[in-house]
Amino acid sequence: MIRAFTRSVLLLGSLAAATAHAQSVEFTKEKFGGDKDALKDALRELRAGDDAYAADPANYGAALPHFLQAQQLNPDNAALNSKIGDCYLHSGTKALALPYLQRAQALAPADDSRTHYLLGRALHLNAKWAEAIKEYQRATPMGGGKRAADGALTLTADDLARRLRECRNGQELQKHPVRVFVDNAGPEVNSTFSDYGPVVSADEATLLFTSRRPGGPNAKKDPDGDSYYEDIYQTAWQGKRWRPAASLGAPVDTEGHDATVALAPDGQRLLVYDDENGGDLNESNLKGAAWGKPLHLGNRVNTRYHESSASYSPDGRYLYFVSDKPEGGRGGRDIYKIELEGKGPAENLGAAINTPYGEEGVFMMPDGRTMYFSSEGHNSMGGYDIFKSTLTNGQWSAPENLGWPINTPDDDVFFVTSASGRHGYYSSDRPGGQGGKDIYRVTFLGPEKAPVLSEESQLLASRLAPVAQTLLSPPVAVATARVTILKGTVTDDATHQPLEATIDLVDNKLNQVIATFHSNATSGKYLVSLPSGTNYGIVVRQEGYLFHSENFDLPAEAAYAEVIKDVPLKKLEVGVVIVLNNIFFDTGKAILRPESTAELERLQKLLTDQPTLRLEMAGHTDNVGKPAANQDLSQRRAQAVVTYLTQHGVAAARLAAAGYGDTRPVAPNATKAGRQLNRRTEFKVTGK
Amino acid sequence: MPRTIPLLAWGLCAGALLCAAPARAQVDSVRASTLPGRQLAEKAYNAGLANYSAQNYSAALASFNQALAAKPDFAPAFANRAATRLALKNYPAAVADYDQALKLEPGAYAHYFGRAQAHEAAGEGPAAEADYGAALQANAAYAPAWYNRGVLRFEKGEYQAARDDFDGAVKADPNYAYAYHDRASANLELANWPAAVQDYTKALALQPTLLPALLNRAAAERRTGQLPEALRDYDAYLTQKADNPLAFTNRGNARFENKDYAGALADFDRAITLDAKYAYAWNNRAAVELKLEHYAKANADATEALRLNPKYAEAYLNRGHAREMLRQADEACQDWHQAAALGLAVGNDYAAAAGCAGDAAEVPAGK
Repeated sequence: MIRAFTRSVLLLGSLAAATAHAQSVEFTKEKFGGDKDALKDALRELRAGDDAYAADPANYGAALPHFLQAQQLNPDNAALNSKIGDCYLHSGTKALALPYLQRAQALAPADDSRTHYLLGRALHLNAKWAEAIKEYQRATPMGGGKRAADGALTLTADDLARRLRECRNGQELQKHPVRVFVDNAGPEVNSTFSDYGPVVSADEATLLFTSRRPGGPNAKKDPDGDSYYEDIYQTAWQGKRWRPAASLGAPVDTEGHDATVALAPDGQRLLVYDDENGGDLNESNLKGAAWGKPLHLGNRVNTRYHESSASYSPDGRYLYFVSDKPEGGRGGRDIYKIELEGKGPAENLGAAINTPYGEEGVFMMPDGRTMYFSSEGHNSMGGYDIFKSTLTNGQWSAPENLGWPINTPDDDVFFVTSASGRHGYYSSDRPGGQGGKDIYRVTFLGPEKAPVLSEESQLLASRLAPVAQTLLSPPVAVATARVTILKGTVTDDATHQPLEATIDLVDNKLNQVIATFHSNATSGKYLVSLPSGTNYGIVVRQEGYLFHSENFDLPAEAAYAEVIKDVPLKKLEVGVVIVLNNIFFDTGKAILRPESTAELERLQKLLTDQPTLRLEMAGHTDNVGKPAANQDLSQRRAQAVVTYLTQHGVAAARLAAAGYGDTRPVAPNATKAGRQLNRRTEFKVTGK
Repeated sequence: MPRTIPLLAWGLCAGALLCAAPARAQVDSVRASTLPGRQLAEKAYNAGLANYSAQNYSAALASFNQALAAKPDFAPAFANRAATRLALKNYPAAVADYDQALKLEPGAYAHYFGRAQAHEAAGEGPAAEADYGAALQANAAYAPAWYNRGVLRFEKGEYQAARDDFDGAVKADPNYAYAYHDRASANLELANWPAAVQDYTKALALQPTLLPALLNRAAAERRTGQLPEALRDYDAYLTQKADNPLAFTNRGNARFENKDYAGALADFDRAITLDAKYAYAWNNRAAVELKLEHYAKANADATEALRLNPKYAEAYLNRGHAREMLRQADEACQDWHQAAALGLAVGNDYAAAAGCAGDAAEVPAGK
């Protein structure tokens, strides 16, 4: 069957047409260097090959082994390489033609249409689309559409246009390869001979196929080629691989060609092909574990033409089959549908499916609406390509090429699928096989599985670069106490016992007592707050004691200060000295300032209250300036006090004025504070 | 006005002293300290602020403690001590101090805001959100309260509410770059991509150093199909900051979208060089290697991503794809199922289409 759909468009060119070229090496004594035996062997192989090659029809399969032997002995003969290429183009391994044809062209460049066409074919079959197109474009129609008596190539403009179209289809289809695995079914199924026509049970547990290996009922080779007669083999899936295939044997396999066609979905009926009556379809039924003798499907299906492949509808009522009968056909082989139990004629599936070229290998999916088939038409990339069409509302959809790499520039036929549609099986001739055509399993991976990428974002600015947002309460203005705290203990100077004394707070400027306090009767402690901005006179007094005066002249800007001033009150005794801290003079002068008034009045009162009291008013200075001047100033200041008192009613006799200058310091003059203490006015009790 | 009270009080006393003489002193009330309590509190408070500004938080805390010992009703000292405790990450104590501050100064928005921050830092989102709300009730013009509440709502996935808050923030402060940025992000999540691009652009205009805006604008531009603009933004970002594996990974993704697989591969390489523990970069490199049909490398990279993150569904999915192409059908099925178990339901679809055990096989699409 396989040779039946190999459409020959090439005819043998004359050996004489192979033009000798300077670089081409002829089969001569010179080439073989006197090795007569080798030359003899080479010429013998060459003649044997030529005999088969020149036969009518040409027997390329028989010629090729001889040519290859001769080429081993002389690889550089252009004509021989060209013939080998031609033979391969007519074999089941067409793609192997290319290196021989290219070698021939290199040895003896030719610019004839035949050479370009054959090179184009070899390039085409190797999917070298662009190069093939160039070669096809250099070729021109030959032979006037008929085969010439000398076997010259017949090539029409339509043929060339079709090849160009196929190459362009191939370019497009290869740009978008379908995602499949195409796996060789392995040595358990495939042999070194051609194996093809797989049919598989719905569950993929059983595989039957056609093989041209030895071991069938007919031990002879098919004279048409170098293979044995077609026989049917069967294998079963064992989980990871197929069990070694075995011939079905009689009654299915006979001495003639017996080939698989279809397996019913239930696996109980097998359609087989035999080469009777131009090629007919028969049905074998499974009886237990054995297949029965194939029965002819009858004349409604089989004609005297070639019925080659078929497929049951899922319900078994219909048969889709292929025939090349001219009646009702659209050109070449067409696909028909017939109701098996009916009486009507087979129905051509129409222009949607069938083309002017060949259709083959029909297979109906178990869904009853998806049909796979092979076609040389539509957008085939060369030879038969596998297509898919679906039946919707009685209309077949536009056939869809299954694409690269399922389809190739050569014939891709007899495609069947598992019920799941996950796998397909078909035969193909491609590098890496067991030999000849092999059965391959196609695993459909479906559309590309989109890789999934991950991404994260930093969408919140503050999370990425936090900004301090602390709301602090502001600083507060410290209520700075512009106050002087005067505190201490009032005691009896003699006994050191605490005294409850009266403390007068006097505004010297106003000559006014602004507050009066008392020290604690038990502890003698006192505390007086003196806000800044006042010249204070502090007078501590107790009956029976001489008053004690202190001065605190606190300017308004004076900051907080705390002064501890213990006050030992002295009793009125002769010889006691009291410093009058609140008597003030202008600088360098002996003129009493108004702020002295309160102190002077207290002194006056003391003298009034104590009529027998006599005092010496003493003036003191620091050591700044000349001693004489200091003495004079101190004398005059003492006298000023005396004068005040006498002017206010105190008898002059009770008073004396003495100026001591800087002779009686009470503190070192080295410091400002010391000098201030030394500048003083005091009185001493001289009598009471 | 509290700071004026001591002066006023002193003034009154001084006036009384002058006007109502003679007065009797309470002479035994001499204190050990030479400063009145109020004055001591204020000085300590100010010292606390100075220490806080110098980020010497422990000293600040001591100062505020001193202020409050001297003046237990000193609300600003409570507030600032709370801020100090917040800085010291003692969140419960910070909240307690803000509570006290609010008792003394009810309705003070700053105290609500501070307490909200303390709650937020402590992970108490609802309380934080409530306090930001209270702060806004007290002072709707305080933009950070709008912003911070928006951030919390964004993180809860309440993008519309977040966007409303960021609206409030930009109304309160039209120069608030972060608010524009994050409003853009809310718009991004709400699929308002043109608005997102606009806000990111505004944020960048206000603060050109806000580089994440470039990354995020790029993300928005990718969604609007402005791939060239997005790539430019990624380039601009990486020109200024070339040590961010995330940015390289995201630009790699953009290049992947642009079918620049070699460029994407280079970016993922760089991201991995910068951070070999960045699982996303490993996974994404696996993805681009799938595109380049480097299935063994894709398998290895996805495996590394899964070593770094064993719950990484996407990496399982990608490794399943790689293993399918490496003809490791059983392993691919396991990975797809695992991806589905981790939340990527499409894993089950792939497993079913591939005829994995336990899955109903389907006719592959397109066949």
